Formats: sequence, structure tokens, C-alpha cells
Amino acid sequence: MEMLLMGVVISMFGLAVTCLAFGAATREPAAAKEAAAKEKVEVKAATANARFFAGAPARPVMDLNRVPIEALLLQIENHVRLEQAAAECFLESPNPTLLHSRTISTLVN
Amino acid sequence: MIEADLLKGLPPAEADRVLALGKRLLLTAGAELFHLGDAAECIYLVSRGRLRLTLPMQVRSHEEDILVEERSSGQTVGWSALIPPHRFTLTAAAQFETEVIAFPREALNAYLASHPDTGYAVSLNLSSVMGQRLQLFQAMWLREIQRMVEMRCA
Repeated sequence: MEMLLMGVVISMFGLAVTCLAFGAATREPAAAKEAAAKEKVEVKAATANARFFAGAPARPVMDLNRVPIEALLLQIENHVRLEQAAAECFLESPNPTLLHSRTISTLVN
Repeated sequence: MIEADLLKGLPPAEADRVLALGKRLLLTAGAELFHLGDAAECIYLVSRGRLRLTLPMQVRSHEEDILVEERSSGQTVGWSALIPPHRFTLTAAAQFETEVIAFPREALNAYLASHPDTGYAVSLNLSSVMGQRLQLFQAMWLREIQRMVEMRCA
């Protein structure tokens, strides 16, 4: 009988030790929780930036702004010459088709 | 002799007499003949080279002279000298070495008043030059409006 009780006590003790060891292994420490929280915030921020760049419809405008001013002025000058030539064509033979003929000007295309 | 738009239809001898009223000016490349807003005392005939007529425009917060028209040999520029308030409405500069004949308003008006046939022909030519410019810019303006409407309705 004593032997049986001793076995039960040892079994209970072993079970308790096992439960403690399992709890310690599966529980996250406080530092790890904070790190995980920061990581989540960083992920959110990264997502926000990605949306900003992905959803930037102004990219062509940025490209236009990057055109050197000398090149932009040449584009304007070329546009004026093309428009004058188109207007002269219209005046030589006035009709709606020539008045609204398409331009190849890079300023408006 | 220069094929001048202002002297079209005049007998050669009479055209020479009108040309003799003017004074030849040589402009180096980039030199300014007159500036927007200046008092317009002379009308000019381009005898050689090319003039750029410009107006100021804001490009990226900087004022830039934008090409509006070009005038080459035989073409008249600066008709503001003949029409009140006698102020230039554009800036003119030589694209490369250019020669012009400058006709002072007083001398030209006095000659044309004393030679009515010549005065009539020159006035007709001047009206023709101005009318063509008006029609040209009307067409250009309408083309820009059309583009604007297409952009707004797209």
C-alpha cells in the first residue's frame, strides 16, 4: 500500500513538473511581445508606403517636371511652329477638318 | 531689291523711294530690336536674317520669353509704330545676324500723306499683313480651345 501511494505521489509530482515545463516552453516573454508589437507597427508602416507609391497617379507629371527646362522650352517652341503651320494650312483651304487636324507636338501628346 | 510685303504693288521706282526713307540696322545674333512695352517709333522691314517675336510666360516659376512668331526677309514687323498707342506688344530679337530697315513713323507718315497713291497701297498691304495675322491667331486659338474641351470632356 505504501509503495502504491509513493508511486502515485511521484506520478503526480512528475505530472506537475511536466506541466510547468510545458507552460514555460509555450509562454512568450514580455520582451518578445513588445518586439512582436513593434514588428507589426513596422509592417503597417511599410504597407502604407507601398500603397503611396503604388497609387501615385502623378508619375507622368513628375517625369515632365524632370524634363530639363531647355528641353521644355524647345518643346513649347516646336509646338508653336507646328500650330502656326497647321493654322496656315487651314487658311489656305478653310475647312473644319484642317482646322482641327491632329498635331504631333510632344507638348500635348 | 527686297520683295517687301509692305511695298507690294508699288512701281519699282516708287518702292525705292519709300525704301530710301529707312535706315539699315545690323543686329548680331540674339540682339534685341525692341522690347515689349517700349515706345514704337519705327516700323521695320527685315532685309536679311530672321527675327524672333516673343512674349513672356511663366515656366516653372521663371519668366521665359516664348516664341510667338518669326519674321524673315521681306516681312514687316513693328506695325505698332503706325497704330496708337504706339507701344510694342511683343519683344523682337535677332535669331542670327539680321539686317532690318527702320522707317521712322514721322518720316513715313509725312511721305505717305504727300503721296496718296503710295499711301493707299501701303495701307492696303499693312491691312493685309494684319488681317492674315489675325486669322492665323484665331485659328490657333480655336485649336487650343478644342484641345481644352477634349481634355475636359475626356
